[in-house]
Parts: sequence; C-alpha cells; structure tokens
Amino acid sequence: MLRVDVTVEVCGTAGDGTIAAGGLLNQAMSESGFSVLGFDSYPAEIRGFGRCVTRSRIGDRDISALEDTANVLISLDDSQSRARIPFLAPNAAVFFDSNPPTYIQEEDSLTSLLEPGTVLCGLPIADLATEASGSARGRNLTALGGFAGAFGLDPAPFRKVITRKFEAKGAQVLDANLRCFEAGYDFGREQLSDRVPEIFGPRNITEGPERVMLSGNLAIGRAAIDAGLKLYFGYPITPATPIMEYLAAKLPEQGGQVVQMEDEIASIAAVLGSYYAGSISMTATSGPGFALMTELIGLGVMAEIPAVILNAQRGGPSTGLPTKTEQSDLHAAVFGGPGDSPRIVIAPTNVEECYHFTMKSFRIAEKYQTPVIVLTDFFLDNRVENLPMPKAGEEEKAHDNLYPSESDKGNYKRYAATDSGISPRSIPGTEGFQYTATGLEHTEEGIPDYSADNHMLMSAKRHRKIQAALADLPAPEVISPDGALDVGVISWGSTFGSVLEAVHTAHEHGMKVGAMKITSLFPYHEDLIRAFMNRCDEILIPELNFGGQLADLIGRLHGKDVIRMNRATGVPIAPSLILKEIETLVMEGGK
Amino acid sequence: MRTQARVLAEKVAGIRDSDLFGVRSGALPTWCPGCGYYGIHQGLNSCIQQLGLPHHEVVTVSGIGCAGRYPFFTNTYGVHTAHGRAVPLATGVKMGNPALTVYAVGGDGDGLAIGGGHLPHAARRDVNINYLLFDNSIYGLTKGQPSPSSPMGMKTKASPGGTADRPLNATLMALTYGATFVARLFAGDPNAIAEALVEGTRHNGFSFFHIYTPCVTFDKSFKTWDNLKKWVHPLPEDHDPGDLRTAFDQVLKDDFSLGILFKNE
Repeated sequence: MLRVDVTVEVCGTAGDGTIAAGGLLNQAMSESGFSVLGFDSYPAEIRGFGRCVTRSRIGDRDISALEDTANVLISLDDSQSRARIPFLAPNAAVFFDSNPPTYIQEEDSLTSLLEPGTVLCGLPIADLATEASGSARGRNLTALGGFAGAFGLDPAPFRKVITRKFEAKGAQVLDANLRCFEAGYDFGREQLSDRVPEIFGPRNITEGPERVMLSGNLAIGRAAIDAGLKLYFGYPITPATPIMEYLAAKLPEQGGQVVQMEDEIASIAAVLGSYYAGSISMTATSGPGFALMTELIGLGVMAEIPAVILNAQRGGPSTGLPTKTEQSDLHAAVFGGPGDSPRIVIAPTNVEECYHFTMKSFRIAEKYQTPVIVLTDFFLDNRVENLPMPKAGEEEKAHDNLYPSESDKGNYKRYAATDSGISPRSIPGTEGFQYTATGLEHTEEGIPDYSADNHMLMSAKRHRKIQAALADLPAPEVISPDGALDVGVISWGSTFGSVLEAVHTAHEHGMKVGAMKITSLFPYHEDLIRAFMNRCDEILIPELNFGGQLADLIGRLHGKDVIRMNRATGVPIAPSLILKEIETLVMEGGK
Repeated sequence: MRTQARVLAEKVAGIRDSDLFGVRSGALPTWCPGCGYYGIHQGLNSCIQQLGLPHHEVVTVSGIGCAGRYPFFTNTYGVHTAHGRAVPLATGVKMGNPALTVYAVGGDGDGLAIGGGHLPHAARRDVNINYLLFDNSIYGLTKGQPSPSSPMGMKTKASPGGTADRPLNATLMALTYGATFVARLFAGDPNAIAEALVEGTRHNGFSFFHIYTPCVTFDKSFKTWDNLKKWVHPLPEDHDPGDLRTAFDQVLKDDFSLGILFKNE
C-alpha cells in the first residue's frame, strides 16, 4: 500500500497556463523521487472558455491508476474550479487567489462554496506575480510555488524543471518565471505551512534507477524509433497526433520520414505498400480514422501483407468525444470490416507496455504476415508516468520474415497452405519469386479462384495462422491468491490499472478476489482465461464502454453470466469504484 | 498457301517468341476480345523491355475494375488492391524501396470517382511513380454504368434518361494538381504509349498517363474504336512540353490531341 498517496489538481481557464503548471509539478515531483501519474483534461476547442484540469497522483510506490478525488486543488480561476469541488477528498487543501485581478461575485467564489473542513490556502497570486515579475502572466508559477512552499517540498527540483522549460526562451523569461515561483514559495512557507496536513511524508525517498516522464504516445514513438522504423504514414487525429509529431522530429535522424497522407485510407494503403516492398512502416489513428481503414485492413488479411496500426481510442461513435477516453473500439478492432478477416489485436495497459507492445507489433506483423492492431486509449496515450526509460533487447527487435528457399524457384507458392498457416513471402527485387498479392480469394499460387474447396482451404489457413500467433502473444496475467475466489476481475487497457489497485486493496482487506489482465484481445488465450474463470464464483468485467465489449468477446467462456461494469463517462474508472463493486459482490456471495 | 489462319498463327508465334512476351505472365488476359486494354498492355510491356528493367524490380499496382486484373497478366511483382487505392499503395511501395520501378494502373471509375481524392496528393507529393489511367468513360466490370468521365446525357442501364453530371477531364486535373509529367494517349497506338511510358518512367517524379480506350462491350455510342480513331490526332508539332501555360491552352481547346503535354524536370 502507498504510504504517500496524494492527488493534486490544477484547474483554470484555457490560457491560464494550467497545463504548463501541471506538467512542471509532475516533473518536479518525479525529480524529487516520487512516483507520478499525470493526466490532463482539456477542451477540444483551441481557444475559448474551456476548463483545463491537470490531475497528478503522487506516491512513494508505482502508481497504476488515477483516483477520482483530489487532496489538493490549485485554482487559477475560481469560476472553473468550482466545478471541481465535488471531486475533493475530505480535508482537501485548496489554493486560490485571495485577491483575484477581476472581481468575483461572492456566491461564485470558491471560499463560499467549499465544504467545512476544507483547508483554505489563500494567497494573493496575481499580486505576488506582478510584484515579482512586473506582470500577472506568471500566476501559474506563483500558485505552484505557494503549493510547494506550504507543504515544505524541496524547491530545488522545481527550480530545475522551470529552468529546463524556459531557458530556451531567454534569460529574461526564465528569470521572471523563477521569481514568480519564488514569491509564491516564500509566501506558502511563511503563511500557509502550519495549516496544511502532512501528506507528503518524511523526505526519505530511496534512490532508484533514473526515471523519465513518459506519456503513452511518446513511449509508442520511441518504440517505433528503436524498432528501426523508416516510414510513418498518417493523418492528424486526436489523440494519436503526438505520435506523428514525435516521429516527424525523430525519424529523419535515422534516415526515415513521416508522410502526412490525404486521409486514413491512403495512410493504411501506403503502410501496406511499404511492407509489401519489404520496409516496415506504421500508422496511428483513432476511431473515426480506424473505421476508414477497415477495408484495407481486410486487404492486408487477405493478401497477407503485414501492417502496424495503432488505434488510440476516444469517445465515440462518429466524431464523438475527441478529447475523452473510452474503450469502445474493441469490436471494431477485432471484427471491423467485411468477411472472415482474422487479425491480431493487442492492448497495452500502461506506459511501459505501450513501448514493448509497439515494438512487438512490428515483429508479429512480419512473422505472421498480417495487420496488427495496437489498441490504446486517450487516458493511456496522454497520461504521463515517470519510469525508467524502457529498452528493447536485440531479440525483441529481430525481424522474422519467412523467405522462400532457392529450391522453391519455378514452383513458388506464395500462399502455401502450411501447417502453421505461414507461407514463404518473397520481397520485390528478388528474382524468380514474382507474385501478385490480391484482395481476391486466390490459390496457393496467388491466382484468383472462387471455388468452394479453395475458399475453405485458404480461409482455414488464414485462421490457423492467426491462432498460431498466440505462441508469440503475451499471455494473460493473474494477480490472486491460490484456490477458489469469490470474485475474479478481468480487464484490459488502461482500466486494468484501476483493477490492479482495487484488487490489491481488497487483498489487504482479506478478500478472496483475483485480477486477470488480458493484453492479447485477438487471438486470445481461451484455455487460460477459462481456467481463471473456473476458479471464480463471479466474474466482474469493468470497461469504459456502454455495452461491455470484452464481456461480449470472452463472457461465453464462463459457466454463467459475467457481471458487467460499464462506464460511458469519458473519464477513467477510479479504483475505489471497482473496489466498491467487488465488496458488494463478495458480500452478496457470502449470503 | 498462306491462308489467313496461317498468317495469324505465324503472328502469334512471332509474338510468343519475341522479348515482349517475357513481360507477360502465363495467364491470358480476361478482357473481352477487342478491348483497348490489350493495346495498353502491349505498350507497357514494350516500355519495360525497351528500358531493360528486370521484371522482378518492377511492381504493378492496380485497383478494382477491368484494369484491376492487370497485374495478373504481367511477370512483374504486383498488388491488386482495393477499389480506388492503387495510387497511395504504389506510393508506399516506391517509398519502401526506391530501387523498384512502380506502375499504378486503373480505370476512370477507380481513379476519378472512388479514388479521386488521391490524384491531387500523388501529384503534389511527386513521388516517382507512374500512373496509367485507362479512360473508357464507363464501368465495365459491373456491366455498364456511367463513370465520372462519361459525357452528359450518356444513356446506360443505370442512367436511362442520360447522365446528368458534367464529365471530369483527367488530363486537365493532373495539370492543375501540379503533376510534373502529363501525357495523353490512345490504346490504339501501343507504340506511342510505349514511347511516352519510356520517357515518363525516366522522369524523376509523378508521371500521369491519361489513356483513351474503348469498352467494346458496354459502350456502343461514345468512345468506340471508330469514334476514337476519328477524333484523336497528335499534338501540334511545335508543342513545347516545357511550358505549362501552353499545355493548359492545348487541353482546354482540344480534348483529343495526343502526346506528352507537359514535363517539368
């Protein structure tokens, strides 16, 4: 259990520097040796009156989820922050401007709305910033300083990360920002430190390996670079765009290129073309773009051309909720598109897995000559975790294409119906092994053929091949005591982090519950999943979608109906909510 | 005695023994007898021979339609993609391995309707691929519906009252989008096709070949062999393919002048 477990929110209007302050907070706490998981929520509109909130969970052990209540709220704009009041933990500390630059009606001010028991930490944020730097623009840093000073946090890491962020903008800008921070820090230490609770614990953080702040998107980008990617084809879409932007900066360094295509159809077409020509490539998109890709994913399945497609899920259907998280593309990923088109779908559950699964997808796509879909979600893509920089071993990076042997010349069967389903794949430029890859049903030689026997033979080959891939796909992980369990919680994607924390807490309370993490969503490890289900009286499947898409996919493996916990809220499910559901089920089972 | 049958047999043997046949695959084309595509096939095969390109270093990419089957009738590498997607896939092939010579082929429905969004971007991206648009102004594989290049008023089973929409001019589009090599050709003249393809293949950039061709089965009124033969003629002898404005003027005043209209090295 975490000894330090503090959730800090920074809230303001777009333009207040809210996201910047939250980012600096995350980095400074990481530099101080804490574990950090941060997540921003911002409006889809670039300018306007949108509310910006950053949430950081700070602890002394690894953190895998966000809680839905905050222990600290740093308000840069009361009119926005009042909406966060229901999400405050009891006895939360709230930092606000005690002399705001624009007059706030009494009924709108935070102080008049907060529950009794809230620790009020008013500081003249704008005044201090203006005094320190000549303008109120650095208010966000003054507020951050007030927070750090009040809790007695070491100011050095804050100074370090502020310097790192602003030094490129010149000495004057850097100096102004540092002075704004210091003004807030001094005020907080002198005026507020005696009233805040001691929630950050004693400063005896143990030295671990060096940690970096990494978002899911960045981890994906780094994995692609480390895998030796040369070509990225894509079309801008929230929340996948940061991957394209990261690669646009990094790929040229290794002789590669980002090509912004005219749409997602062209993007997947070019990825398939590049792989056909023997060069690994990838594309990343979100639900609406993924829908456009489904026809050509089918071409990849039929013509057995590898491809790596990352679908960063957001709220749907249609344009849906572009800046909210959801897990509602599972069925689109597994079943999307016409015909029997088995493909490989994997889903990481945290930032580190974003790296390793992206790396793995290149190898699997090539070995099994088929599109591989990596399913992430907005929360996973955009949250930041501080972790040791992930690295792949040489074996993880190795390419694994089955080439035809010289003896096949003259009798080359590009689509030979082998036992594994994997057929020798020649690369253009290789003499004597020319073939035409086609989306038409075809013979083992690749010639179009619609006969009954042939369609059965080739359909079976393609399905066999995808099932064979299970050998290379990550098996489900079980976190549970041995023996029979009252409740088993099965989960995928970013929701698993919340499940893990809920189940850990349940174990501390002595409950007989277990968690299963499923990362291979198609094909999936039927036997292992069934074996776990057989140990459990009830199976609970929490998901961030309305109908229960994983429950639909694997629920049939359980002897009785699985219990669905579906949230179409656009925000991650808090561990406490899952724990409550577990407790209810355990109690009902005991009756 | 040299009967007609013997003359034909000798001709066939001559073709089979020629280098030209090497580019063809063992599979016989499935196009209708008399189809204009045979002429284009001969032109492209001849171009590959003339350039001496090893067949395994050539990739032919197609979409869907009668032209979609093209890759099966050559001895190169090939991809028969989805409807309208030959050009972006060919882009990926070329960027994936720039040593390959890449031809994208497709009809007017494939390239101007469902895949019409790709042409502007292939042109402005200027990746070194060659795109042959077989323009017969009709959907042949689905048995005769109007296409984006059908003339207004053309009657088909799907347009019994005549098509209501204005036709697209693919040559004009390619020039407008900034294609750096634009030629207009006729399926009845394989030698001219080969000649233009040789030059276009050597051109380092996106090369567009707009090829007029009849559909002998479903179009009895517009682009028939008889009409096309009457209509087409070479570009003026003094046409300067280095001048974009001249190319535009030529295309705007004359739909049927053939040759290399524009080339920007």
